[in-house]
Amino acid sequence: MDNELTALGIIFTEFYYWVTVVFMFLIHVGFCVYEVGASRYKNHTHTLMKNTMVIPLVTVTFFFFGWWIYFAFVNGPWIIGPLVDAPFATPWSELMGAHMGGAPVQDTLTGDDTAFWARINGVFWAAFLLFSWTAASIVSGAVIERIRPSAFWILAVVIGSFTWIIDAAWGWSWNGWMVQKLGYHDAYASGVIHAIAGGFALGVLLVLGPRIGKFAADGTPRNINPHNPWLVTVGLFLIYTGFWGFYVACNIPIIDIYGSAMLDVADKTYFSATNIYLQPTTLSAITFNFLMSLSGGLMVAYIVSDGDAFWTYSGGLAGVIGASSGNDLYHPIQAMLIGGGGAFLAYKMHYWVENRFKIDDAVGAVAVHGYAGFYGIVMAGFMLWGYPSSPFEGYAAISPWGNFIGALIMFFVLGFFPALIVSKILHGLGMLRIPREIELVGLDINHEMQRQIDADEVARAIRQEAG
Amino acid sequence: MSTGLVDNWLNTDTFGPIYPFVGTEVMLAIVGIAFWIIWHIWQIKKENAEFKKDIENINKMGGPGKVLDQEARREMEDSVGG
Repeated sequence: MDNELTALGIIFTEFYYWVTVVFMFLIHVGFCVYEVGASRYKNHTHTLMKNTMVIPLVTVTFFFFGWWIYFAFVNGPWIIGPLVDAPFATPWSELMGAHMGGAPVQDTLTGDDTAFWARINGVFWAAFLLFSWTAASIVSGAVIERIRPSAFWILAVVIGSFTWIIDAAWGWSWNGWMVQKLGYHDAYASGVIHAIAGGFALGVLLVLGPRIGKFAADGTPRNINPHNPWLVTVGLFLIYTGFWGFYVACNIPIIDIYGSAMLDVADKTYFSATNIYLQPTTLSAITFNFLMSLSGGLMVAYIVSDGDAFWTYSGGLAGVIGASSGNDLYHPIQAMLIGGGGAFLAYKMHYWVENRFKIDDAVGAVAVHGYAGFYGIVMAGFMLWGYPSSPFEGYAAISPWGNFIGALIMFFVLGFFPALIVSKILHGLGMLRIPREIELVGLDINHEMQRQIDADEVARAIRQEAG
Repeated sequence: MSTGLVDNWLNTDTFGPIYPFVGTEVMLAIVGIAFWIIWHIWQIKKENAEFKKDIENINKMGGPGKVLDQEARREMEDSVGG
C-alpha cells in the first residue's frame, strides 16, 4: 500500500462492503419488527428473542465453518473435483483477524494471500454473514408461535452456516460447479437466498404442523391476523431499505476485468463493477431494476390482494425477489413485468398451498421467498438464454434447463430436504414443538405472570401512599 | 516486549497479524467451538426447565382454559379500570 491509487482502490472496496453490512443490518431489524407485529401479544418476547439470537449463533458458526465452506466446496466437493484449499478462511487462520497484509506467520499462507485478504476478509465475511442471517430469518417468520426456540436455533445454524453457503459455493461464486456446468445465473440471489430459505421453511412447516386454531375441523383455514399490522408494514419497509445493501453486496465494486489475475487478457484494461460471477455490471443498472421490480410487485400485489397492506408490501418484496436472478442484465421494464409476475405467483400460491396442503405459513415466507425465488431463477433462464454465464472460457451458457435444474437444487436439494430431515430428527427427540398447554396460553406465560405480580405490587404500594 | 508481534508502529508496512498471542489460533478455535456447543446444551436445559415450570403453573391455575379465562377477565378489568 505504498501507492495512493492502489490504496484508494483497496480501502474503497473495504469501505464499500462495510457499508453494505450496515445497510443489511436493517433487514434483520425489519424481520424482528415484522415478526413481533405478526405474532400475538402472548408470544411477543419469545418471538423477538427467537430471531434476535440468530445474530450471535449464525455469526459464530459462520466464523467457525461457514466462511471456509464457501471457498472449499466450489467443486461440490467431489461433483467436479475435490475440496479446495482455503487457508485464509479457516477459523484458525491468521487472516481471520486483524492483519496488516505483511508476510504471513502461518506456513499454509503465502505473501500473496496476506496482501490480498488482509483488508478484505473481515468485511467480505460479514457481507456473506448478513446473507446468512437473512436466510435464517426468512424461516423464522414462517414458524412463529409454536416452534421451540432451541429447535429453531439449531435449524438456523443448519441453513445460515451450512446449506445456504454450500449453495453459494456451487452457484454464486465465479468458479462454482453449477456456474461451470449448468451456466447457472442468479446474480442477486433469487435462488441462493430466497428459494433455499423458502424451501427450508416449507420442510420445517411440514413436520411442525399448523398453529392451534389455524384450521377448522373440516380443514377450512382461519385468518390469524397480525397483532399489529402497522408494525408488520414498518418491518417490511425496513427490509426494503436493507435490501439496497443486499443488492450492492452482491457486486464487486471495482476491478480491472481484463487484468484480474483470474482472467488475464493481455494488453487490455477496463475497470468496472462486476457481479459475483465477474461479469461487468453497474450500480445504475441494478438501481433501475431494483426499483422497477419493486414497483411491479407492489402494483400487482395491490390489485390481487384488494389493497391489503400486508400482501401489498410482501408483493413488493416478491417483485424484487422474482426479478433478482437477472436484475444485472434485464431492461427495467422487463424487471417491472417479471417482478409483477413474482408478486402474483406468491399471493396465489400461498393461498392455494394453504388450502390444499393445510400448511400454516404464518407470514407467507414460503410464498414470497420460496415460490417467487424459484420463479425468478426460471425466468432468468429463459430471458438470458444463450448469454455467457461467465467471462471464463469453457463455462456453460445460461439456459432455461440449467437454471431450472439450479432452482430445483436450491429449493429442494439444499432447502426442503435438509430441513425435513433435521426437523424429523428434532421431532423424534420431542424437541421441535412447544408443549400444547403452553401454546394455548402463550409462550410468554412466565413473563406475563411475573409482570402481573410486579404490576400488582406497584399498584398496592401506590394505593398505600395515597392513604 | 509485548503480547503480540508488535513492539513499535514504525514498520507497519511489514506487519502481518497484529492481535495478541499469535500462534494460539487453533486453541482459540477449539475453545470457541466448545463455547458454542455448550451454549446450546445449556440453553436446551434452561428451556426444558422453563417449560416444565410453565406447565406446573398452568396446572396450578386449573389448566389452559382457566388461564385464558383469567387473562380475559384481567384485560376487561384493566380496560374498565376495575
